[in-house]
Amino acid sequence: MEKFKILIRNYPFIAFIIAFCILALVPSVIFTDVYQSHLATLIFVNIVVAAGLNIVKGYCGQVTVGHVGLFAVGSYTAGTLFLYLGLGFWVTLPIAIVVTAFFGVAMGIPSFRLEGPYLALATLGGGEAIRLFIENGNFFRSTFGISDIPTPSLMGFNFDSPDRYYFISMTIMIIAVYFSFSILRSGIGRAFMSIREDPICAAAAGINVKKYKILAFILSAMFAGAAGAVYAHMPPGYIHPNNYTVIEMVTFLAMVVLGGLGHIWGGIIGAVIITIVYDLTRPLYKYQLLIFGLTIVLTILFMPKGIGGFIDRYFLEKRFKKKTGTEKT
Amino acid sequence: MILKTKQLTKSFGGLKAMDKVDFELKKNEIRGIIGPNGSGKSTFFNLVSGIYDSDPGSYIEFDGHDITFTPPYKIAGYGLSRTFQLLRLYQDMTVIDNVMAGYHTKVPYSFIDAVVGRKKIWDQERAIKEEMMELLSFVGLADYAELNASELSGGQRRLLVLARAIAMKPKLLMLDEPAAGLSPVNVDNLMKIIMQLKDKYGLTLIIIEHILKVVMDTCNTVTVFDHGQKIAEGTPSKVKDDNAVIEAYLGKKMDDEEMRKALAV
Repeated sequence: MEKFKILIRNYPFIAFIIAFCILALVPSVIFTDVYQSHLATLIFVNIVVAAGLNIVKGYCGQVTVGHVGLFAVGSYTAGTLFLYLGLGFWVTLPIAIVVTAFFGVAMGIPSFRLEGPYLALATLGGGEAIRLFIENGNFFRSTFGISDIPTPSLMGFNFDSPDRYYFISMTIMIIAVYFSFSILRSGIGRAFMSIREDPICAAAAGINVKKYKILAFILSAMFAGAAGAVYAHMPPGYIHPNNYTVIEMVTFLAMVVLGGLGHIWGGIIGAVIITIVYDLTRPLYKYQLLIFGLTIVLTILFMPKGIGGFIDRYFLEKRFKKKTGTEKT
Repeated sequence: MILKTKQLTKSFGGLKAMDKVDFELKKNEIRGIIGPNGSGKSTFFNLVSGIYDSDPGSYIEFDGHDITFTPPYKIAGYGLSRTFQLLRLYQDMTVIDNVMAGYHTKVPYSFIDAVVGRKKIWDQERAIKEEMMELLSFVGLADYAELNASELSGGQRRLLVLARAIAMKPKLLMLDEPAAGLSPVNVDNLMKIIMQLKDKYGLTLIIIEHILKVVMDTCNTVTVFDHGQKIAEGTPSKVKDDNAVIEAYLGKKMDDEEMRKALAV
């Protein structure tokens, strides 16, 4: 067991290959109908967005409320590239990531001068501006939305149904999670955290605050762009501006907050739980926002570090007790 | 000469927080800075470490680099480390992460390495962690390494701030009131640790401190600030008897005639 642990630490992609194999078996073993695969794809898309949001909000401490705008940029880059040039998934995905990264820079520049609620307002404006820009103009087919965006095909095999598309979204999700883990578990993640805690002291300790802030925004934008492209190509391949409103933003925020702000698993745990709850409460759609708002408030009140932080705390206290023989509250 | 300032000036609106200060510091020296509240001690630190920009006409040189308008992270890269009066701990990070974040300037963190070269990064991280644990056990915080910094007591926080500032292996360490709020026993302990660290890493020290005993006992030279100006400089015993210093701290010395007049009213 110890040997295995060291192997994983040195070559973490082995862990991800194992995760890949386990997740690849899930549909044939557990799922009973196509809808469950569709839901799983949605979960994976949300995990990618939430993992990205956790980098910029949880780790770097920059309160951004415009993330859904970046998600929209990813989707609409893929959508319009298909609409006007007829490009497929394998081309639109990288382009969407790059384009969204540029929008991430634009979203991040206000963070040089603003912080806290003021930055939240600026990014909220940015996100809404993107949505309104898409909505008002026939270029983006805003009235009816862009439909029939094709699913990807690889070597003649077309991933054209939810249970086949599951594998595409799963692969993207695993790669994204691998990226977020390896970045946050290096000195870069620590630099992000020190900027969150105290930017002045971070600067005095030799961390280039502006560079790392912009890096956090770019990274999280790339995650959102990838998720957006995957979402656009998801069967039935339909996107509409109404899917990128502040309501979606609140859902993304609820994921990160519930899972644990600044916890490496935070976005992932939150995305799984919230997406499933969102789906189960569909009949109560009138109260959904109320539920998520309440979730955020209650989590911040009783578990400020989310589920991830709560579990961590439990194990830490156990270990501390073992080491020193004293209780630490 | 490790640190040199010429005509260092900083005004906030009409207030001159720092007024044409010339300051020189030799290598391996321990320099104390004293002065009443608001005399410009902390401003001096903020100017040197780059957190404030000094006014035009000022000149600051550190270890052969002109750092007058250099951003703070580059100055830290040259080997200047400082602590803050209000600590500015990374509250929500573990103790070991606090110290490892202080080591940042010494490792070239590359984005590509982080994603592709995990083994390299992991080995590097483990080496840093071992080194930092050694530092933590030196200041006596090894048992608390995994706790959050916000859970430490006041005295432990002071030690952690010190460890974090040392982590980058600086050439010059500037301590802003390292012993504020400590009990006399803890002050002695802290000063002992600071002196041991100085010998171990070959540091040059500047200490701002209000506990005069600490300054008088440990420093080679003492600089006194008042109203943003340097009013005295010299060995502790010389500074102690300086008239300007006594005036700044206690008010003007009166002769018998003046005293009688003052008492009569």
